[in-house]
Amino acid sequence: MRASLTIISLALGAALPLAAQQNGVTGIRDLAFGTVFPGLPSVVSRTDAVNSGRFDLSGKKNRDVQLTFVLPAVMTGPLAATMPLAFGADDAGYSPTQSVGNETVTWDPRTSQTLTLPNTANPKVSIFLGGRVSPAVNQRAGGYTGTVILNVVFF
Amino acid sequence: MPRLRVVLLAVALGGAAPLAGQGVLVAPHAVYIDHARRSGTVTLYNPNPEPAEITISTAFGYPVTDSLGHFVLRTVDQPDSTLPSAAGWVQAFPRRLTIAPLERQTVRLLATPPAGLPDGEYWARLIISTRGGKLPITGAADTAVRVQLNLVVNTNIGLAYRKGPVATGVALSLLRARHVGDSLVVWSRLQRQGSAAYVGTVRAALVDSTGSVRSTLSAPIGVYVVMEPRYALSTAGLAAGRYWLRYELVTEREDLDPAVVLRVPPVRDSLQVRLP
Repeated sequence: MRASLTIISLALGAALPLAAQQNGVTGIRDLAFGTVFPGLPSVVSRTDAVNSGRFDLSGKKNRDVQLTFVLPAVMTGPLAATMPLAFGADDAGYSPTQSVGNETVTWDPRTSQTLTLPNTANPKVSIFLGGRVSPAVNQRAGGYTGTVILNVVFF
Repeated sequence: MPRLRVVLLAVALGGAAPLAGQGVLVAPHAVYIDHARRSGTVTLYNPNPEPAEITISTAFGYPVTDSLGHFVLRTVDQPDSTLPSAAGWVQAFPRRLTIAPLERQTVRLLATPPAGLPDGEYWARLIISTRGGKLPITGAADTAVRVQLNLVVNTNIGLAYRKGPVATGVALSLLRARHVGDSLVVWSRLQRQGSAAYVGTVRAALVDSTGSVRSTLSAPIGVYVVMEPRYALSTAGLAAGRYWLRYELVTEREDLDPAVVLRVPPVRDSLQVRLP
């Protein structure tokens, strides 16, 4: 019995700390611009339930978290071709209920934002991101890539 | 532009692939290293269906508040000798790793402080940088391809290194409040005392004329130097009239190992406020 208890406690000891104390952000959904035509900007709203970028954030209740996006101004394509990518004043949103329609805080993702996690056990919230891509009339076809950096500071 | 080329480009750019999951979960959310052991650990868990490429680094910084009372991280790229930085002599092993989907890994933190380091508490920030598996770009360069937005997540948590006896405390002053909408917004000035950060909890309560507590707030706090944090107490549904705002800081933290919390007596203040 004692051996069993030891095994159980070791097992729980290995599993519980992470579950109980975990903090972090995971990318759930890419910011997707759908069909893009040369010369026609494509806008994705942060409230777009399908195409907006979504990041889930886990932490402790009532904890303050500072979010800072580092956003590319362009995506780079073939032969160093670029495609402008823009973010505006209302393109980031925070939902304490992880619902795209319930964003209690919105902000300009080009600036830092400090949020307080909900007063619930092991809260999990969502961040939504919208943006605009503006292909030129003579945009070169090919693959375009960019990197979004999300800095998350747990206080 | 020829019609065919337009169609090809539209097809190409329309093929935005789903994001490979990025980011890892980190525990604990604050690391304390004692001079006697000079080591600590963090556990990383990859909850995503793709491998996570991780780089771990350290930097110097500590929480402060901005002009609105929001917490922000003050960072110093090249901390001089007047700042209690441990960033230069705490290293993670391994510093680069890949965690398979749904797997966890322990990372060891080793401290190699300089000889003759004075007693005290030294700070760093541990930055766990995660990059997800890259999506392939397929197709010929001038026809069908995919648009790819890579995401890098930097999770930034606190680290404290303690050598010898350390003490903490906090001085509370300039308690003030203002009614905004359905909240009572509260500010105060908090200045750390002693040689270690004050890590505890802020509690606030609104008490009516009968002595009944009508609204409460509790939030974790770490006072490293000085700050003026802003908190909001709900006043929704409260009748107009006079209330007492009770405000205190206590060295209690349910999310931290009690062994690392430096205990000192509570610090309190109060203020009479009128709700319209």
